[in-house]
Amino acid sequence: MMKKNKILKKAGILIVVAIALCIFPFVASTYLVDVAFFFGIYALLGLSLNIVLGEVGLFDLGHAAFYAVGAYTTAILNTRLGIPIFVLLPVSGLTAAGFAWLVCSPVIHLRGDYLCIVTIGLGEIVRIALLNDPGGLTGGPNGVFGIDRPTLGGPLVIDTSIGFYFLIWIVVGLSIFGLVRLQNSRIGRAWNCIREDEVAAEATGINVRSLKLLCFILGAGLAGLAGNIYASKMMCVSPESFTFMDSCMYFCIVLLGGMGSIPGAVIGAAAIGLFPEIFRSLAKYRMLFFGAAMVAMMYFRPAGLWPRKRGGSGVK
Amino acid sequence: MKIRKRLLIVTLVVSMLLILLSFSSVMAAKKTVTIGLQGPITGPWAYEGEMAEHSCRIAAKLINDKGGILGGRMIELVVADDAGTPKDGVLAAQRLVAQGVNGAVATYGSSICRPSSDIYEKGKMINIGYGVTFVGLTQRGLKYFFRTCGRDDAQGIFFAKYATEVLGKKRIAIMHDNTTFAKGVAEETKKALQEKIKAGKAEIVYYDAITAGEKDYTPSLTKLRDAKPDVWYFTGYYPEGGLLIRQARDLGIDCPFIGSNAVINEDFIKIAGLDVAKGCLMTQEPMPETLPFSESKEFLKAYREKYGTIPTSPWPVYGADALNVIAYAIDKTGSTDSDTLANFLRYELKKSPMPGVTGPVSFTEQGDRVGVPYQMYVVNEKGKIVLYKPGK
Repeated sequence: MMKKNKILKKAGILIVVAIALCIFPFVASTYLVDVAFFFGIYALLGLSLNIVLGEVGLFDLGHAAFYAVGAYTTAILNTRLGIPIFVLLPVSGLTAAGFAWLVCSPVIHLRGDYLCIVTIGLGEIVRIALLNDPGGLTGGPNGVFGIDRPTLGGPLVIDTSIGFYFLIWIVVGLSIFGLVRLQNSRIGRAWNCIREDEVAAEATGINVRSLKLLCFILGAGLAGLAGNIYASKMMCVSPESFTFMDSCMYFCIVLLGGMGSIPGAVIGAAAIGLFPEIFRSLAKYRMLFFGAAMVAMMYFRPAGLWPRKRGGSGVK
Repeated sequence: MKIRKRLLIVTLVVSMLLILLSFSSVMAAKKTVTIGLQGPITGPWAYEGEMAEHSCRIAAKLINDKGGILGGRMIELVVADDAGTPKDGVLAAQRLVAQGVNGAVATYGSSICRPSSDIYEKGKMINIGYGVTFVGLTQRGLKYFFRTCGRDDAQGIFFAKYATEVLGKKRIAIMHDNTTFAKGVAEETKKALQEKIKAGKAEIVYYDAITAGEKDYTPSLTKLRDAKPDVWYFTGYYPEGGLLIRQARDLGIDCPFIGSNAVINEDFIKIAGLDVAKGCLMTQEPMPETLPFSESKEFLKAYREKYGTIPTSPWPVYGADALNVIAYAIDKTGSTDSDTLANFLRYELKKSPMPGVTGPVSFTEQGDRVGVPYQMYVVNEKGKIVLYKPGK
């Protein structure tokens, strides 16, 4: 009886949140809708890094690389070949995932800090490669511009802030749905097992190597989707959106929210995406307050803002 | 636990108050003419952003002291920080559009300008760049985008002519840092030199990029030394410029150093040290203190009275002129309608340019400034940046 009540309560909260999210863009100013859009981008990136960092505990400080691959895939294919953005949405995800498979396969056996250093290098290699304009494709420091608005080729075009807002939050919503299911699946449990003790996991028959690769591929794929939406929103991409600092920000999102916690990743994204905007009226002290707020949050909630509850999978 | 919860609540309440505060300013600004400034108030170019804000405040104050525009309406400046990143640039632009300012001065940095000018274009709002020299910006057919500063090619052409004809140098080294601006200038310089190369009067012996933000440039500089250039043109920014010249002199590279207009300023001299910075040259739009116009003298006097100094880089005064020209257009047309203003700036202003701080201001049909002069400057023995007179 108690359990049923709890589920009803949860469903109720979800419905209220969903309705609020739907009404919000129609009452708020375009500026706030755009802030909410970038919050959505951060949420998607946070969720994608949460798979790697939160679920499996692999330190990935080069996540912006996968985001960049997604964004540039969209930018190049759209401006060169005129392929519609919506068609490129899965393509960007798959390209980023394929790229992750390619570059992570040889280094996936590295542990802890060593993997972390490799991912930092990876992030920098991708950024500098984009800067060097390989084959005249990436436009060097100028980036690629003239990217279309999202369309399937028909009359349906997303070109308002509200449209983009719904696009990103629908993608975030679907990702959350999928990730919650994944968390409670055999794969999710195996991932958590690897995070807690890799040797024990291997001893119980879990294929550690392929599961680790899988988390990178999935995480990169989601980041690639975010890159696609970002590219068509900005209508141009340039390497300075994919710096080491950005990778650090995504890392912060996961740590702030709570490792392995899906609502945590969204809340962490809110902190990273919204705080600099809230403190905008403080002008040049904006970043000072942003930093102070982050320090305060980590002090008061060291395990994250919404830590993952243990025992969700029936194990007490 | 209780105290922590309370603290959390207090933090939340304070942040909510801040949000409210930031929106209340929108409400108050209806009777005045509001002009937005989008600039890097924080971030790596905060130095430029602050001076731009000061310049715009002074420009607005001068107009207001003379009784405002449209028969007594005051100008109010609304500042939006873009932190020098494209993403924040979009949000800052969106914020200014949402606030319904009558025009925007935006922004410093070409790669930030590009996405934000799209936002202004969609919001049908006049936006005038003041530190955006990438040629392509005005080649996109935008209706509401203008710029008061010059373009990269102007600087490159000036350097090519000056280095070969006035200085008589043949072996030329060009170095950039892969940012939109620096690479733009470098490429335009290379293009401008082609003619001289064909005539056998010049030779590019080094053309490469360094990575901005590093501390040790010895590997690149060793390569530069081996190329034995007669003159070395660096088109990046001052933090790298200062380190480069310091390390180059230590390595024994003693050819003249010429920086583009973002390389040499007071901070460059501080980083490099006066002993090394002395004698470094720079291709530059006229610096504020050498501007000969009566408007510039009045502006700089007011600036000095308020802030005790004058802008140490050429860009902020272009920001002031961007604000001036928006106000001028509103006053002349008697309208705040963006289409009327855009037509005025594009077609009417040419007939009688506005006397601005940086000289007469008018625009081509693409939105570029008409006639931006360039000059060669030098760091003198006292660490001041003064006009360079060749042959000395």
